[in-house]
Amino acid sequence: MSFKKFGENDVFRNTMKAYPRSEFFVYDAKIYYNGIPDQSGSRNDQTRNIPPGFISLYEYNIDRPLTNTGKFIGDADQGVKDTGIIYPWISKDSARSSFKTVALTTYTNEFFYGDVLSSSYPLSASITREYIPTPSSSAGTYNSHYISLRNRLNFYSILSQHYKVSSSYGNKDEQILNLISIPSIFYGTQIRPGSISLKWYYTGSLTAELQDPRQNGELIQVGPPGSPGSGSVAGVALYDEGFVLLTGSWELDPNELRLVAGASNVKPKWIYYGAGAQDGVNQSTAGSTYISASFSLGFQGTTETQVMTMMAHARRGEINYSNNPTYLEYDQTRTYYTSSQVFEEPSNLKIKNIISSSFHDFTPSFKRRVYISKVGVYDKHKNLIGIATLPSPILKEEDQDYSFKLKIDI
Amino acid sequence: MAVIETTALDDDVDVTTTRTLLHEAIPLTGTIVSGTYGTHPNEENIKNYNHGMFQSIYDYPYLSSSANHIFDISACYSARSVLSSAASTQNAKKINMYTEFAQTLMGFASGSPENPAADVRCFESDLVLDNVSRMNEVFIINFSRLLTKDQIKKGSFSITLGTGAYGSPFTPGETASHGVVLSDNQSTADGKGTTSVLGGDMGLLFADSADGVGHPVTRASGAIFYQAGIAVISSSVFMQSNGTVTGSRNFHYSPEVGRWQTAVQALTGASISGACDSFRHRIQNISFNNTTEINSKIYFCRVPHNTYNYSSNPTYLSASKIRVKNAATDAPVSYITTIGLYNESMDLLATAKLSEPLRKDPTNDITIRVRLDY
Repeated sequence: MSFKKFGENDVFRNTMKAYPRSEFFVYDAKIYYNGIPDQSGSRNDQTRNIPPGFISLYEYNIDRPLTNTGKFIGDADQGVKDTGIIYPWISKDSARSSFKTVALTTYTNEFFYGDVLSSSYPLSASITREYIPTPSSSAGTYNSHYISLRNRLNFYSILSQHYKVSSSYGNKDEQILNLISIPSIFYGTQIRPGSISLKWYYTGSLTAELQDPRQNGELIQVGPPGSPGSGSVAGVALYDEGFVLLTGSWELDPNELRLVAGASNVKPKWIYYGAGAQDGVNQSTAGSTYISASFSLGFQGTTETQVMTMMAHARRGEINYSNNPTYLEYDQTRTYYTSSQVFEEPSNLKIKNIISSSFHDFTPSFKRRVYISKVGVYDKHKNLIGIATLPSPILKEEDQDYSFKLKIDI
Repeated sequence: MAVIETTALDDDVDVTTTRTLLHEAIPLTGTIVSGTYGTHPNEENIKNYNHGMFQSIYDYPYLSSSANHIFDISACYSARSVLSSAASTQNAKKINMYTEFAQTLMGFASGSPENPAADVRCFESDLVLDNVSRMNEVFIINFSRLLTKDQIKKGSFSITLGTGAYGSPFTPGETASHGVVLSDNQSTADGKGTTSVLGGDMGLLFADSADGVGHPVTRASGAIFYQAGIAVISSSVFMQSNGTVTGSRNFHYSPEVGRWQTAVQALTGASISGACDSFRHRIQNISFNNTTEINSKIYFCRVPHNTYNYSSNPTYLSASKIRVKNAATDAPVSYITTIGLYNESMDLLATAKLSEPLRKDPTNDITIRVRLDY
């Protein structure tokens, strides 16, 4: 095994930017993510233990029901119960680590050192729609989610006046708002500006679509051609924060249906977009005609991955020996002399000739050749920190040059 | 970010490190392993390979994108085993599998360059690595890294195996109750009951005292390798302590010879996948806790009373006057929202956000504890 030091131009780092696409579809109070259907399992109602439209962190507990087994895992005194599903736990110790679900006072007062604090899997996320009829009133009632976004909305007014809380386009404090929240796990660092698309379907037909063709966050109704309100701005997108705020209140279709829980018929508008996405709207709370509406939300996220590239060179005349025991001919004495102070190997060990011949019973002349199967990466202390394995060993002869390009995401 | 001044952290006073052990409880019921997703032994969550050297177990039919690989099983024996014979089915592969695992986990006895394969240590049923109490015929369970994470927690592993007849491996019959619980209950987190080998820390799996088949609780019937996430179960667990066969004489049905076989006969007369199928059929439960080490660096960011009372936020001033002051004698007030961590070159490396802004004025001092997990 030969060590070679990476040269100045052999190691470089760059950033790989990717734009993963996400597509949500809302129908009948269910959300579907990237076309993944509702899956029922053999042992559990939901295969992945989460409703459709959600993603599960780690994707643990596939098709596993919660079961009271009455058993413990490990020492029963420690109190880690076997519930039939995987869950995380931690012991209270001096590091004071805990789960977010355990409040500070609870942690301090209700647990002794050594006690088990547990959480649960799956940890899941999906989009949420919030219908906000009263964002902020002078009477003191307000929607906290909207209030927390007011500063950011004003901040982005440099891009468009449509962001501004109060402008010539209206006062968001007094408008009916429709807030769509997108968890960052779906988009990474930012929703890609201009990639967003919101579609409103009535009885399966596209009624209206919003896009951001100017890439400034204004969601403009772009279709279908001639649709009511086409060309108007129906809301804004907060790309860094993962929110879509809709204010468009013009009628998209003359037909009426039930889109607000506990309310009467309304006509399709952008403020009703996404009804049924974790907002309590369904056929029971709104009415049977709710099922005529469906919605899709598509966008591209932005992920940045640092990639380290290393060029490992096997030059001509180098890397021509192997420490594999079978590299040498069998049945040779390999240890010449050993003592407490000396270890000596014979200098005339024969390398096995592996040159093949097309002729019968003929041994071709010896040529030094090795098969390179792996490239090890070592730190400056010669600790092995990574191994790149080739799909199949590569034959290297003395007069050949090879360069291996190793890439690792960091 | 509005920065008004920076303070150098003193490594001795302001920076400390901690380590937290995050665990996960991992129960694996036998119904996942056998019988839920199809008819044994052809379940949809069991994957066999053309090479036939092991089989993979998934927690759901493996053709589904939802499926997770949870462990592999192999059945093998040592070259020193009395079962080793050219007449045995897949003899070379069984020996190779044993040697590969033993070499990786147990290492070499002397490291002789002359014949390294002959010096591979065998699995042992005690913690003395002298190749005396060898486990020559074993079933190997190789758990996925998804489940074991950094390592299996010592003292938490348990596997329940049915040792009765094939049709009812867990129910009482013949001589006694046919179920054996193997656990590493003699291993503790401080290293007691374990020994260090090439593959990491090794513990032993002992039968519980309730075992009625006659396995002595003082003699291990398997080994567990905590960092590698591998359990090695001796085939002797399906034998009585005196070496005679109990209900496990119906361990495996061999279609080739047209009759039932014992575990030992399965190891010689059946393929690896066939022996694994029968072993799977006898797994009632597996459970353990895994461990993930979370290292943390804690920075104590101290804010004295007389600093950080000003902000360079553009909105802090109005007409060149501090907005929060009404009279010249009023104390300045700022709100701390973010802590920035800089390197020696004053490059911003990380920011820590507060859940809500902290009011800062000359009458208070604050120490903010910033924790960085990695």
